[in-house]
Amino acid sequence: MSKGAGVLTFLILLLGAGCGSEKKAEEGGAEKECDSAPAAMTGQPTLPAKFPAPDNVIYTGQKKTGPSSVVSGFRDGELGDAFDAYKSAFDSAGYQVTDSEKEEDDAEVNFAGGNSTGQVKMIQSCKDRTSLAITIRPQ
Amino acid sequence: MRAAAAFALALVVLAAGCGGHASSGNRTITIVVDAPFSRSPYIGNTVANGVRLAADQLNAQGISADGKAYRIRVVRIDNALSPGRAVADTRSALRRHAVAIVTDGTGVDATWQLANQQHVPICITYQGGAGLVDPKARPNVFRIAPTDHGLAFRLAEYMVPKRLKIAVLTDDSDYGQAGRTSLDDAFRTVSKSVVARITLPSSASDLAPQVLQARRSGATALLVWALPPVLAKTVVAARSAGWHVPVYATPTAEDPVLRQQLADHPSWLDGLTFGSGRMTAELGSGPWSTFEAAYESAFGATLVGVKSQGKRVISPPDYAMYSYDCANLIATAVQQAKGTDAKKVLAALNQVSIHGANGDERGFNEINHEGVVDDDVYFARFEHMVFRPVKDDPLSSTLPVINQVR
Repeated sequence: MSKGAGVLTFLILLLGAGCGSEKKAEEGGAEKECDSAPAAMTGQPTLPAKFPAPDNVIYTGQKKTGPSSVVSGFRDGELGDAFDAYKSAFDSAGYQVTDSEKEEDDAEVNFAGGNSTGQVKMIQSCKDRTSLAITIRPQ
Repeated sequence: MRAAAAFALALVVLAAGCGGHASSGNRTITIVVDAPFSRSPYIGNTVANGVRLAADQLNAQGISADGKAYRIRVVRIDNALSPGRAVADTRSALRRHAVAIVTDGTGVDATWQLANQQHVPICITYQGGAGLVDPKARPNVFRIAPTDHGLAFRLAEYMVPKRLKIAVLTDDSDYGQAGRTSLDDAFRTVSKSVVARITLPSSASDLAPQVLQARRSGATALLVWALPPVLAKTVVAARSAGWHVPVYATPTAEDPVLRQQLADHPSWLDGLTFGSGRMTAELGSGPWSTFEAAYESAFGATLVGVKSQGKRVISPPDYAMYSYDCANLIATAVQQAKGTDAKKVLAALNQVSIHGANGDERGFNEINHEGVVDDDVYFARFEHMVFRPVKDDPLSSTLPVINQVR
């Protein structure tokens, strides 16, 4: 899969998950079986200095949005594990976790560090996979 | 006898003022709302009504701290958008033994130190200026409202990929100048997108010269960061000149003043897009609807004064949600502090969290006194005098349309 297609797939996933949030109680992503995983992006995304990557995170693309950028990816496993892993990884990397919230099917960890601020948005897209969208804003 | 009566009266007044007890025997949590009731009634009432609603609900259900019953008393003071008045108001609040001050943000640069001397927290629920909140330098200042930083970056993230040539127009008010700073920061790395930076004089009756300057710069979009009357004059100047340039703005676009001033030309407002804090949270619109219904039941719907396709337009109480959450956090902090000891309440505010009016978790910590994250800024577009989330932004496209007619 090309990088563009990977990003598109992720955006559709994210959009789908978001649209479904109004009726989350009926169809939680955690109950769906996973399709085949999106392909990893070629190379590595451009991330702030010492930006942490918890184990098993696969990046699938990066998109520039004005001054900021959004890195997409996924991590095999449940949402709660990804949430804990990112919080812990930010602490270890010397970043500040400015805010965090975990709900049933999605979670956010907001960070400051590496001359940037931003958010790791996590969505349990299916039974054993957590989709990631990392927004990075320069400071 | 007269002297004895006067002495007795003085004792009663002293007890009421200093003891923190209401006449019912309950102790009192005084929350002072310092807002621009005279100069900007929409903002003033929005801030105050959110606090009032939380207070009424909490008083009805009963507040207890360390086994003692409390009642919340809300005191409204008008700062008239004047920092000088805000300083006087803060002194007044401290004399009234306020547990906290909830404000739109006027004058906080001058008031925070006064309040901090007595460890009284200030909660800002409207202005988003970058320097207003700093947990290290200003440990008593908190905010639940979208920040200028978040609005500016989200606007840049939304507009730049559209390949627009942007004229940035900011007014000369404190609000506009703070916005200019944040926009400069947000567009620093994408400065080629900006073709003009123009200051709008708030006192000018006609902004045609400034709009013409923007047009001559080759702009294909206007990004206006200004108070509602100035935003209205900018739209009027562009449209009356026959310039159908897309206009982007900040939450001041929600102020009824904008729609009232464009009431004779409703189509001029169509397409205006603005950034603001999302009303509903990830878990759906249920909690927001409950809050909105309670708000309307208490105060009535906020009528904008215009109609949309024959129906009366109302303004949703989105910013009232922020002051409502602030008041609830303050009450929770009092409970955690086991009373109204200012130092303990201030410390507790760094620890407590609540489920806010829209279901989102709200709370602060020692390194972060912001209650609304940058990524919660969404975009809405006007059509027929009401607005709905845009479809070409990933977050906004997932949000429900909030009914704005009655």
